Amino acid sequence: MTSRLRDKYCIVGVGETSYSKYSGRTTRAMGAEAIRNAIVDAGLTADDINGMLSYHIGDSTTGPEVASDLGIQLDFFMDCSGGGSSIEALVGLAVGAIEAGMCETVAIFRSMNGYSEVRVGGTGARSATPVRGAQLLTRPYGMLGAGHMFAPVFMRHMMEFGTTSEQVAAVKVAHSKHASNNPKAFYKKRCTIEDVLDSRWICKPLHLLDCCIETDNAAAIVVTSAERAKDLRHRPVHIMGVVGRVTKRRGDSYYNDAPITTAAGKYAAARIFGLAGVTPEDIDITGSYDAFTFTTMMQLEDYGFCAKGEGGEYVSNGTIELGGRRPNNTSGGQLCEGYTHGISMVIENTRQLRGTVDDYCPHWSDGIHSYDYSEGGCRQVRGAEISMNIGWATPVTGSALILRR
Amino acid sequence: MTSVDYRGMRLILPENDSEFLGYFAAAARHELVVKRCSSCGLLRHPPGPGCPWCTSLDWSWHAVSGKGTIYSYEITMHSVQPGFRDLTPYPVVVVELDEQRGIPTPGDGIRIIANLVDEEFHPEAEANVAIGARVKVVFQDLGEEISLPQFALSDEVPLEPLWRFPG
Repeated sequence: MTSRLRDKYCIVGVGETSYSKYSGRTTRAMGAEAIRNAIVDAGLTADDINGMLSYHIGDSTTGPEVASDLGIQLDFFMDCSGGGSSIEALVGLAVGAIEAGMCETVAIFRSMNGYSEVRVGGTGARSATPVRGAQLLTRPYGMLGAGHMFAPVFMRHMMEFGTTSEQVAAVKVAHSKHASNNPKAFYKKRCTIEDVLDSRWICKPLHLLDCCIETDNAAAIVVTSAERAKDLRHRPVHIMGVVGRVTKRRGDSYYNDAPITTAAGKYAAARIFGLAGVTPEDIDITGSYDAFTFTTMMQLEDYGFCAKGEGGEYVSNGTIELGGRRPNNTSGGQLCEGYTHGISMVIENTRQLRGTVDDYCPHWSDGIHSYDYSEGGCRQVRGAEISMNIGWATPVTGSALILRR
Repeated sequence: MTSVDYRGMRLILPENDSEFLGYFAAAARHELVVKRCSSCGLLRHPPGPGCPWCTSLDWSWHAVSGKGTIYSYEITMHSVQPGFRDLTPYPVVVVELDEQRGIPTPGDGIRIIANLVDEEFHPEAEANVAIGARVKVVFQDLGEEISLPQFALSDEVPLEPLWRFPG
């Protein structure tokens, strides 16, 4: 695998809308706002953007629509199908499109009324649609939401490795601590292990608080060359390596490719660390996809942040909390900040590496932080140099992105 | 096209469904079948058009014993689909069939999703669900042309220690 492009491209702008349960507007309106915010954040103008990428599950707007709303003439666009693990892959495709000479600066966005219109968790409305094809093997058995589809994977992990509900509840606890220092977070209230264990069951072994928070929002990032990034508004954040949408051999089933307790990330690990030229030990911050508490845990194992089977210990011993050795999802992630199919976690790591995380420190935008992680305080990680995003779509599809300051 | 209404959903099997029509047609005859590669002979499930082991596109339906072991499970407490609300809590089990366990690589198996049901096709009690429990296929008729393969506890002695979710 090549490392020819290491550090040659950068994330230069990030932006989003607010997180809510009812945006009261279209995905097009939200998408335009998020992209505009990211362009302004980069110190660019609409005229500087000539590439656009987005991902959707039939619930969003298109590149040409939002480009029109901002007066952007596109030389390249593509709207891809996909949810989780798309953003890392699209960062790689943006680099590829620029390398191919198709465009110079790419805005990538995700816009979703993820609570008020299309809920991934599923609603009564969605369950009325006809069942055909591969869905015949799950929906007639009462499986519809992502929790239903993934829970047997976690159950088997508990059986094989002795992983406990208490251990993965620590992921929610850590992320809620982070969210309490994030003015944007939908849920800012800190919670305890007991809060998670006492929350109602969705699908054993998953409690309500093991599941992420479906929200309405849009988010965007701007990618361009390191050369172009030099004179922009923020310290550029460099793309060290990226792997997009790695699958297990049986991408058609979560339960037939052994072992089911291993996620696709196992197959991505050697490639991503090889491209970036680093090891897990070098990573200061992780963004392991928290559709559920256990997805964060499983992926950290499969990328080698701990031995396979020791994920429960890793996520519950303080390592992943602010102030710990390697905080995960310092924004509060999808368990607390809001569900964005992963893009918000790339935005958070970008802000961390800039040193200007938008916490409650009065002068955060100047990079002045207290490093006091008490509730309502700071969430900047001191001296953060390298971050890694670990995207999850399903147990059989994953992506990863390593960034440096 | 074959179709049937089940718990508020319309299950549809078009004439050209080369993956699932044969599977559910066999179930209607109370036979559990999986695809068998005509080239390398390995079984596979779900019933895709190609062999994941040798790429051959030639296959035939192969009747299996319907005996297996619970490999993993979940207990659904909150059903998203309105038609399943009166069933909660209900177990969904991943059953590993006796055929082709650990083949061709260790840990591989033919694994099928189903509900664990009693003799009246009601959800089996949670206390009786365990990884390692022996099960057998039963067929829940939804009409003359479609039946759902389901699994019920068998009286066979487990081959491994049982494991239950402690929560």
